[in-house]
Amino acid sequence: MYVRPELVSSSQLTIVKGGIVMSNAVADSGQKSHADEVKRLERREGWKRRLPILPALIFTIVVTQIPFLFTLFYSLTDWRLDKPEPREFIGVENYGSLPGDKFFRDAAWISVQMTVMAVLLSLIVGTLLAILLDRKFFGQGFVRTLLITPFLVMPVVAGFMWKTQMFGATFGILNWILNLFGFESIEFATKYPLASVVVVLVWQWSPFMMLIVLAGLQGQDTSVLEAARVDGATSFGIFRQITFPQLRPFLELGTLLGAIYLIQVYDHIEVIVGGQPGAKNLPFYIAQRSIGGGNRFGLASSYSIIVVIASIIIANIGLRVLSGLLEDDS
Amino acid sequence: MAEVRYEAASRIYPGSEIPAVNKLDLDISNGELLVLVGPSGSGKSTALRMLAGLETVNEGSIHINDVDVTLKPPQDRDIAMVFQNYALYPSMTVGENMGFALKQAKVPKEERAAQVREAARILDLEPYLDRKPKNLSGGQRQRVAMGRAIVRSPQVFLMDEPLSNLDAKLRVQTRTELADLQARLGTTMVYVTHDQVEAMTMGHRVAVLKDGILQQVASPRELYRRPKNRFVAGFIGSPAMNLLDVDRTDGQFRIAGTTIELTDEMKAAASAVEGTTFGVGVRPEHLKFTSDGSGMAGEVVVVEALGSESFLHVKVQHEGRDELLVVHEAGDTDFGRGDNVTIAVTGPVHVFAPDGDSV
Ligand SMILES: Nc1ncnc2c1ncn2[C@@H]1O[C@H](COP(=O)(O)OP(=O)(O)O)[C@@H](O)[C@H]1O
Ligand SMILES: [Mg+2]
Repeated sequence: MYVRPELVSSSQLTIVKGGIVMSNAVADSGQKSHADEVKRLERREGWKRRLPILPALIFTIVVTQIPFLFTLFYSLTDWRLDKPEPREFIGVENYGSLPGDKFFRDAAWISVQMTVMAVLLSLIVGTLLAILLDRKFFGQGFVRTLLITPFLVMPVVAGFMWKTQMFGATFGILNWILNLFGFESIEFATKYPLASVVVVLVWQWSPFMMLIVLAGLQGQDTSVLEAARVDGATSFGIFRQITFPQLRPFLELGTLLGAIYLIQVYDHIEVIVGGQPGAKNLPFYIAQRSIGGGNRFGLASSYSIIVVIASIIIANIGLRVLSGLLEDDS
Repeated sequence: MAEVRYEAASRIYPGSEIPAVNKLDLDISNGELLVLVGPSGSGKSTALRMLAGLETVNEGSIHINDVDVTLKPPQDRDIAMVFQNYALYPSMTVGENMGFALKQAKVPKEERAAQVREAARILDLEPYLDRKPKNLSGGQRQRVAMGRAIVRSPQVFLMDEPLSNLDAKLRVQTRTELADLQARLGTTMVYVTHDQVEAMTMGHRVAVLKDGILQQVASPRELYRRPKNRFVAGFIGSPAMNLLDVDRTDGQFRIAGTTIELTDEMKAAASAVEGTTFGVGVRPEHLKFTSDGSGMAGEVVVVEALGSESFLHVKVQHEGRDELLVVHEAGDTDFGRGDNVTIAVTGPVHVFAPDGDSV
């Protein structure tokens, strides 16, 4: 409650705020001290708003920024397990060795392929599912829930499930189907490691893309679609000329979020193909080089820094494109 | 150019028992501007959308130029529709919006551009052809929606409350322009509105709907003069007709104790109808204050002074209850709030049977 001083005889003036009653001694001196009091209350108000955020802010800094700074520091040293001390500062030497490191280049290339394929395919599958789900039918809610479940499965569990129940040579469903048609069994995970991982990633991420695209589809103005029908457009023409341009920001958002996550995939690779060559992306290679037995923490740190920088660049480009599009449409 | 015919056409929405449009019979002639009017929820939009092919016709049929289009999809009907919210294509420019239908019909690019330019010229939209709809004012958007329809030179224009999102002044101006445009193009138009003033000023004929049932279709003048039932009488006209429940006693109708004079014709017609409680209606301009104290006595409670004319609301005692009568007076009327007045009937009286039909 705010009490206008001129309405109250100044000697009795009290300001009641947040249940606390404060006797106000300075109010006697008139206009100026009233302004001071308002300022003081505003400051108080400001802290009341900031204070609850502080623990979360500190926590975020501790768990994200500090490890990053440590990693940055390690990447400038020659730290390795078989030579723990002294950790020598070697400047950017680790980074200098990257372009010549064939394993690093391979891993980087695998990362690019895996991310691009997984994002694009899950986007396409997700969009198709969203289009099917967008029309009204009996049991729509149930089907939607079913379709979302892959996204809710833990990555490690998804990996194991596909490895044994789908890809497996003895118990795998895919090979069972192959055998049914008289074909030989195939060790998918060994023979096509990259494709196998991508298939599982697409299976897990299509529901996510579907949800995003569905939001875009359902946000459409139905009368615009009706107008297009009256104007003589075919169903495909309506999708291509009307729906797709309106979906673009949603597709961009899906691509962005999908790429940020999928560039860091580790679990699926570990479970499905393990240490075999052919599907080792950067995060996997980093792990191998450090805690996975390579024990070259300094070098591995420099890889991580590269991945982080690449992710930040991708995210920034993506966000810029996205906000440009959103501005364009509002 | 086309004739449109609804033949006992009904629309029953899934999950609903009562038809939204109930056995609609309507003949619209070539070049006519027919207005569908009625209160909100009366089925106007549904009737229009049935003609557009956007709603299934559950019973009956719809014909355009004697071709049964009941089962045809919208794109095969050669109609153009203007939606209440305009439904412009947000990702396309004004020019692309207007040329969209021609593009779907695979009209060559140059021809398309020429037709779009011509429509833009008619509608004063030339400076805006490269803008996106979001950068236009409400009135400009409305014109783009119009342009999108006229570029196609369709058989029939369908308009669903196309002016309801404009401000009052622009609405009045646009309504004249639109009627004028329709007259110049000579294209049949079905125009939906809930605003009876719009209906009366624009329509060659006006069809009044209520609860999905066609009440009357006639010229504006005919509707005003000879409403077929009590609903039409109350709906058409602004301010509305004074309509009171009157008990027939000794074959006479009395409002506020004063006997209402009827023509012999009406007397005969009324006496042929059973029942006691009739509806009696008199338009405000057919009521006048008397200076000799004769007629219905009452007290002025509200004065609506509109400048050129005034409407005075008078409270009268009628069959033991308070009723309000609206009386039309000159703009410079001397009567004011609180005045005790007496009222006489100077024009035609409408009598409605207990079931609402005009006698
Ligand atoms: N898609 C729909 N599903 C079910 N009922 C509807 C639908 N559209 C309209 N209705 C119902 O049909 C009736 C007529 O609606 P409508 O034609 O939109 O009326 P108007 O345009 O005269 O306001 C209303 O009672 C409305 O609730
Ligand atoms: Mg409507």
